[in-house]
Amino acid sequence: MSPLFAGLATLADPALIALLIAATLAGVLIGALPGLNATTGAALLLPFTLTMEPVAAIAILAAIYCSATFAGAITAILINTPGTSASATTCLDGYPMALRGEAGRALGLAVVASTLGGVFSVICLMIAAPLLARLAYNFSPPEYFALTLFGLSMLVSIGGGSPIKNLIAGAAGVLLATVGTDLLTSVKRFTFGYPELSDGIGFVPVMIGVFGISELLIQAGRISLERKTITMKAVKLPSKEDYRRVWKTILRSSGIGTFIGILPAEGATVASMIGYNEARRWSKTPQEFGKGAPEGIAASEAANNSATGGAMVPTLALGIPGSPTAAVILAGLLVHGLRPGPTMFTDQANFAFAIFWSMLLVNLMFLVIGLYGAKAFARVTLIPVQLLWPCVFMFSIVGAYALDQSLFDVYTALVAGIIGYFMRLYGFSVVPLAIGLLLGGILEQRLGQSMVMLDEKWWLIVTRPLSLLFLVFTALALFAAPLRALFQRLHPSQRNRSNTT
Amino acid sequence: MPEIDEIKPSSNLSRRVVPAVIIGVALVAVYITTSFAEMPPILKRGIQPADFPRLVAVAIILLTCLMAWRDPIEDHEPVPPATWKTIGLMVGFVLLLPLDMFLALGFFGAALMWLWGEKRPQRLAVIGLAAPAALFFVFDLAFRIRFPRGLLTNLWYG
Repeated sequence: MSPLFAGLATLADPALIALLIAATLAGVLIGALPGLNATTGAALLLPFTLTMEPVAAIAILAAIYCSATFAGAITAILINTPGTSASATTCLDGYPMALRGEAGRALGLAVVASTLGGVFSVICLMIAAPLLARLAYNFSPPEYFALTLFGLSMLVSIGGGSPIKNLIAGAAGVLLATVGTDLLTSVKRFTFGYPELSDGIGFVPVMIGVFGISELLIQAGRISLERKTITMKAVKLPSKEDYRRVWKTILRSSGIGTFIGILPAEGATVASMIGYNEARRWSKTPQEFGKGAPEGIAASEAANNSATGGAMVPTLALGIPGSPTAAVILAGLLVHGLRPGPTMFTDQANFAFAIFWSMLLVNLMFLVIGLYGAKAFARVTLIPVQLLWPCVFMFSIVGAYALDQSLFDVYTALVAGIIGYFMRLYGFSVVPLAIGLLLGGILEQRLGQSMVMLDEKWWLIVTRPLSLLFLVFTALALFAAPLRALFQRLHPSQRNRSNTT
Repeated sequence: MPEIDEIKPSSNLSRRVVPAVIIGVALVAVYITTSFAEMPPILKRGIQPADFPRLVAVAIILLTCLMAWRDPIEDHEPVPPATWKTIGLMVGFVLLLPLDMFLALGFFGAALMWLWGEKRPQRLAVIGLAAPAALFFVFDLAFRIRFPRGLLTNLWYG
């Protein structure tokens, strides 16, 4: 049986279907709760998957990824607070539409656009991931080193913060990855005599800390905020007129979202911003954007959901996370002893396709959940923070402990949480830290192997065409923005013209 | 460059103290790498154990200098008192952890609710007693996670 159908057959297990339904509901709940998002949700629930079969475990994480990304739209539309950062642009038109009494229509548009975007990207994932894996099958350590470096260089554009701060946070993650016994030489580094550090700093406790506990500390400063929920009778399917208005936007944004998702480290947030801007640029009525334009909601939601499938392409085919949540899923793959990369599509092809089919199923599930359950899920925004966040803390602590049943991991999560809070306070994103920690070991290992292979002549890396290509991409990622700024400073007329446009 | 009197205290903090702390930590990391064992050429696998972390630490120092020089001044909110108190509760949690993990979790949960303004005893009991107990049994029975022995867990483990 071909892996495509073998993967589909895996889903015939009723227990797996039940788990996927539960995970989709949990994901929608997580995405609808302000402060929690797909990344935090996946990090918190990862320890729950430890005793499961790898297919079920990773399918659950992927289900949370897809459904939480969609559910951010619920709070974006009803309380003008994006449940996830990827839904920030959904607020721009969703909330104004809700204010004029069309909350049901706005949610209906969001559900349909999310589903179509998600399905589009999973189909692209099914086609692109094996092709990319086949291409990467012939990569040697220098190519992998250059590719990993490229993945890290893409951290410059994560979030809306300073590119330099992102790089510092990423490099700090890479430095943390060097803690423990050096795999190449068995020399202990930065262990300070603690045997628990010999195996390195666990990325699961760090992720639980920087995503979960740091958010708790952020929420501590917002307990006095009051949120108003807009009442809604029912979610409505978009009308024929709505479909006629938005189908091109959904298609364009799905393409943009999938492409952005495939780029290493770039996730749903960037995709939704670009998707929204492009929809406004192509619109015949751009003045309606920000005032409740259906195209605005469709563009944002189609783009952010299609980025989920796109982000899984480099994660599974190359072992380079396509987004922050994909980094948690990558961590899940490693914890379960799986090796993401080209061999996944030769040695574990059934597993890979089972994940793809699960994601497709989840996208269809949240169409139903979104249409019939959004009204109920909107009520979770009324859960008092005083009840929610102590529970999140308990989940975080027990989750951090459960992986290796070590109290040291609990302390690691707490310290990572406090450091993550101060990083966020001073404008550093915690996402590069997590991705740096995840990729740091691979980067060093590939560098060492490259040095052995190239007889310690590191400069020979650039003589290999693919390595050179990735290094050029790296340079472009790092220096494109400063060079553009320099060019505009030298040619002010160009800047004026681009501003006018 | 802005005038000195334009710079607010919090800006000064992010402008000077934050880069100083990062550079300080990176310098300590570089110093520690000098104590790593050097491998003889026959055992060396491409790079020495100290090379890579040292390279990354130096990159952090250079990037931090660039940040201090180039990044615009941002005004940051001070840490709210409720956040400091929550961090304080975390310290309390760590101190209670050796006694019993679920005792510490219950204490933290109830104390956090109280701190954040929830004073109703029923809700405090749900988070302080029922939630840790439910979490314990879910992980113990369903996921077969063995928790560290303590005052309360010993009642179950015997």
